[in-house]
Amino acid sequence: MKIVIVGNSVAAINAVEAIREKDKISSITIISDENYRAYSHPLLPNLVIGEVSRSEDRFYYRRPGFYEENKVDVMLGKRVVKINPKTKVVELDNSEKVEYDKLLLACGGKPAKPPIDGLELEGVHTLTNIKGADKLRKDLKNINHCVVVGAGLIGSKIAEKLAKKKVKVTLVELARRVLFPVLDDKGADFIHKELKELGVNLILNDSVKALDGSNRVEQVILNSGKKINADGVVVAVGVSPNVDLAKDANLKVDKGVVVNDYMQTSDENIYAAGDVAQAYDVVYGTKRPIPILPLAARQGRTSALNMLGMDVKYKGGFPMNSIAIGKTSFISMGIVDSDELEILSFERDGEYRKFLIDEDNRLRGVILVNNIEKAGMFNWMIQNKFDVSWIKDAFLNSDFGWKYFNKAFRVLRLDRKIK
Amino acid sequence: MKIVKIREDNCIFCHLCEVACIVEHSQSKDIIKAFKREEKPIARCTVEFNYPVSLSVMCRHCDDAPCIEACQNGSMHRDDRGYVVVNPETCVGCWMCIMACPYGVIKRDTRRETWGLSTKCDFCPDREIPACVEACPNEALTLEEL
Repeated sequence: MKIVIVGNSVAAINAVEAIREKDKISSITIISDENYRAYSHPLLPNLVIGEVSRSEDRFYYRRPGFYEENKVDVMLGKRVVKINPKTKVVELDNSEKVEYDKLLLACGGKPAKPPIDGLELEGVHTLTNIKGADKLRKDLKNINHCVVVGAGLIGSKIAEKLAKKKVKVTLVELARRVLFPVLDDKGADFIHKELKELGVNLILNDSVKALDGSNRVEQVILNSGKKINADGVVVAVGVSPNVDLAKDANLKVDKGVVVNDYMQTSDENIYAAGDVAQAYDVVYGTKRPIPILPLAARQGRTSALNMLGMDVKYKGGFPMNSIAIGKTSFISMGIVDSDELEILSFERDGEYRKFLIDEDNRLRGVILVNNIEKAGMFNWMIQNKFDVSWIKDAFLNSDFGWKYFNKAFRVLRLDRKIK
Repeated sequence: MKIVKIREDNCIFCHLCEVACIVEHSQSKDIIKAFKREEKPIARCTVEFNYPVSLSVMCRHCDDAPCIEACQNGSMHRDDRGYVVVNPETCVGCWMCIMACPYGVIKRDTRRETWGLSTKCDFCPDREIPACVEACPNEALTLEEL
């Protein structure tokens, strides 16, 4: 069988590993428009300020030799311009054609473009791939004051890193708090404090209307009318799935490429996984793209096993994030803010715990700030729709652990009898 | 594959498993040096106590380890023996493995200068029988096929 994978990051690599666990014979071809072996996207802000370099192993997603060991034919620096599902052929930008029996779309997302005038000016950056990170890194010497647009994961992280590098940073966020979808007000206040301590100038409830300058950006104009003199801008207002290829091929596309429980698109020979795919969200009970690394890995594996005809269901996922800004680290999962769910919360001595539970006693969301080591136990409860009625009283204990569980259940879990 | 079976009925909360784990993962593997002179490693097993319950918990070495899937740069991986281990040379301490671990058995070591280090049971690669199992005086931890 000929398996072709479009994309070369988390979903693609995990697909390769899953295929090779079962099948040493089929050919695997990876096609990617980037010229690098798979790398760690969360480390891009570190790359910008030189905390990690491209010569270090830790920057990469797998060790050197991965492709050879797994007998993967890698076509780097080539863009797929067209998929023809009828003839089962993909066309590249150099008009080369590659045939497939099964195709995996793992082409990720691209930075969302906000409606801001002047984005084409020099000194305006995005940070979703090596190219963007390199460009920003080389431009750092020209930047004294950087405006970061959007306080999501990338925005908050690069603001922190630039501030550490003694660059003056202003972080502009449309919402009333940073990291809006992954923290509530109280949790975000921890981060606000850290950012301020690092010297980041934080502007909430406002957005950027236009960038001004003759050649290079000189001024940032906010919707409130405020004007900020700046010689660098990082636009980080999120990523959107790269759906163009799928759309052109007449695959079913909504916000992302729509897949069934087997990660299969509307064409039976084409699968999708990772940031580009719109898969099942267990917490909301709907399908939507959730662009996070652990789910890309799981989806990559699942799609690969199904391409081999194994009938493995994707059980669904939910948003989860682990982030550290300054001295604060937090992990949050699922729904983090709600008026309808039962809320258990606790805050003391720099620790914050919050649990959101529905009327059926299923855990739907968690925030843990600074005491995060047991986070995965709650992850398991959310994923498995575990009845928490008898254990939730212990959730707020800082020393939450196995000792609070019912003995029979604890023994079965620790013996790996319940997964 | 053999893993450490936890027999909580036998556990007497003596913490010897933690002591043995710390010594095994120390530079010198000498108990006095490990506790008094060198940088003390973090125990990979944790003894929990909530009267009358006490038990030692450590990595279950899952077949479909979610920590490996969550790792951002392949530091968390399966070694040649089949056990789940961290490569300290590349770990950046993002704690995504902690977010994923269904057993809550990965710990944070924040003592390194630039990068944090995820710390977990490595099933004692230099030993035939893991240190915690050998140290347990009353078979609250045993080596078994699971």
